[in-house]
Amino acid sequence: MIEFQLDETSGVATYVQLVQQVHQALRMGMLEPGDQLPTAQQVVAKLAINPNTVHKAYRELERERLVRARPGLGTFVTRSPSGTDPATQARFLTAMTDWLRSARSAGLDPDDIEAIYRTAFRTCFAEGAA
Amino acid sequence: MIRLSWLQFRAQAVTAGAALAAFAILLAVTGPHLASRYAASTITGCHGGTCSFAANTFLSRLQATSPYPIVYLLGSALILAAPAITGIFWGAPLIARELETGTYQLAWTQSITRARWLVVKLALAGLAAMVLTEALSLIYAWWADPIVKATDLGGSTSLFSGGRFSSVTFATHGIVPLGYAAFAFALGTAAGALIRRTVPAMALTLAIFIAAQIAMPIGVRPHLIPPDRTIATIESAELNFGSLTATVVPDRPGAWIVSSGAISAAGQPVTNLPAACQPTFSGTKPSSPGPCMESRGIREAITYEPATRYWPLQWIETGIFLALALVLVWFCFWRLGRRRT
Amino acid sequence: MMTGVIETSGLGKRYRRAWALRDCTLAIPEGHVVGLVGPNGAGKTTLLHLATGLLAPTSGTISVLGSPPVDSAGQLARVGFVAQNTPVYARMPVADHLRLGAWLNPGWDEKLAQRRIGELGLDPRQRAGTLSGGQRAQLALTLALAKRPELLLLDEPVAALDPLARREFLRGLMEAVAAHGTSVVMSSHLVADLERVCDYLVVLVASRVRVAGEVSTLLATHCRLSGPRRDPATLPAELDVIEESHTDKQSVLLVRTGEPVHDPAWTVLPVSLEDLVLAYMNPANEMPARKPQLGLV
Repeated sequence: MIEFQLDETSGVATYVQLVQQVHQALRMGMLEPGDQLPTAQQVVAKLAINPNTVHKAYRELERERLVRARPGLGTFVTRSPSGTDPATQARFLTAMTDWLRSARSAGLDPDDIEAIYRTAFRTCFAEGAA
Repeated sequence: MIRLSWLQFRAQAVTAGAALAAFAILLAVTGPHLASRYAASTITGCHGGTCSFAANTFLSRLQATSPYPIVYLLGSALILAAPAITGIFWGAPLIARELETGTYQLAWTQSITRARWLVVKLALAGLAAMVLTEALSLIYAWWADPIVKATDLGGSTSLFSGGRFSSVTFATHGIVPLGYAAFAFALGTAAGALIRRTVPAMALTLAIFIAAQIAMPIGVRPHLIPPDRTIATIESAELNFGSLTATVVPDRPGAWIVSSGAISAAGQPVTNLPAACQPTFSGTKPSSPGPCMESRGIREAITYEPATRYWPLQWIETGIFLALALVLVWFCFWRLGRRRT
Repeated sequence: MMTGVIETSGLGKRYRRAWALRDCTLAIPEGHVVGLVGPNGAGKTTLLHLATGLLAPTSGTISVLGSPPVDSAGQLARVGFVAQNTPVYARMPVADHLRLGAWLNPGWDEKLAQRRIGELGLDPRQRAGTLSGGQRAQLALTLALAKRPELLLLDEPVAALDPLARREFLRGLMEAVAAHGTSVVMSSHLVADLERVCDYLVVLVASRVRVAGEVSTLLATHCRLSGPRRDPATLPAELDVIEESHTDKQSVLLVRTGEPVHDPAWTVLPVSLEDLVLAYMNPANEMPARKPQLGLV
């Protein structure tokens, strides 16, 4: 079963961190369809957080169709998020590395590159989230 | 709540029980001897004027024999102090300590009302205080009976004097100890509810209780039932040696003399012994000023309560202290109900 | 429309000359862990005592779980209270404290109490006065939880505890909320741990409510604006400035707003819950004309 961590200094809301950790676990293969997520009580016993936060995270994951709550039984993984097969990941990793190399040779320094990346990232994901 | 109250009161109850037991043992060991001394003395079978002489003899011998004087003093002191002690150590902390330590926030947020909490705590400790004091008094009254009887007959020594109506004896016998205990306990609790600090509440309780115990015999008790008055001859009043106060009310054995003084034939108070009537010391006995004063028309005016008023006075005084206790208890409930923390 | 766990209207409490709490109007929904935050002397204990019925209001009204907090056995059974500094009877052993709970509460859950004491490793025969601060707090929490209340009120329960004891206490509290769905109102003058534990916030400063609302709403409606030096009076009216700081070239404002800020001169930055609360608690940010109440979700 997945074990959640909490990074208090990150400034990211707790429930978002839980959601992200489930995404991560699904990508890495640590969570597979059919696996049960820890109950709110189990999470609370480990992290001493508000149980409503756990419910909120699981509701969000349910909205993303990644998990399903079965009353009386628990919350279970339905399927992985799309596009996480290793081949696709490798393809984008290669494309990204090439882009970075050409940006470096064009004279951009790491701060410029990061600023460009962040602006594009923000633009892209503000345009209607998946 | 009753079980909890007992749990919290247990230690104090044990201490009180031990003190009562120790006292009872002490009296049980010495009491029968005292009774047999009395039976063997010249008081039995005495009549009229010889009784006071017999009583004096008995009491002087007793005063010189240990441990009777010590036990007598100890008993009186214990019964006089018991209401004050229970009032201070059981009453004052009852509410005050909860407020002081903050445990009221624990006690008054369980599923019982403040009124129920208070009623049970007051009843348990208050009744215990009353029972303790009255038990001490009853045992003591049994033990000291020969002494009281002797003083009632007119016997008087430096230690044993005054009869049933004397301040100390009246306060340690009968049922007034019950009333004092109730009053002192209620006073302690009320002081604690008012001041909200244990030690100042203890001090206030002690101060007021002592004041009441002084004021009662001096200012109140003589007026609980309007006293009788009589005018007697100087001789029959058996004046105290060297003063103008009476020691006996003629035809009223065992009466309580509230006040007395000489009056002239015209009814005016006489404050000084006429010079001509001063006792002279020729021969073996001093001359009595009695016939001298009587020849001048001086008589003795006595304000007194007859012996038959002993129990009515006891009941009335107990009633007064119980009523005061109830008022103080009502104050405690009122104070807790106002929710000012 | 569900009744809130605590609803007050113009609630006030006065001691002699000073008002300990004033104009307090709240509607705290059930099923939340509510943080009651404010500096010392702000009126948090007064509000909690009014909710438990230990105090009576001077003005206004308060209703707890739908009824006024009267001194009745039924009402007292529904509300649990852990007081500041967790007072216990010093000479009474732990086991006797549990007996106190069992004898005075018809709804007492003895199994829960025993299980908790066992898990905490408390010696039943030990006198409560010799327990450590953390152990005393856990004992007081056990007494309040085993009574199975619908609402649990805690007055600065972790203020005097070391970080480990604090975490353990909150863990126990959150486990109870997860298990029984108890509503919790917890006062604190510390702002750490807030986002972790609370999902509803009431900020109380100088006897008045500054802001109250769901944490998610508060975070969504507050932000930081950073930009060239500007007089806040020139800003649009719906921008409520909570805190402002200026250098000669730059202004940074913490604002409350219902609408997104479109002015390109401003960079919009998120604000953490901690910074938000501190801004409201800062006496330098006096806002006399402001309506303290956020729209309630």
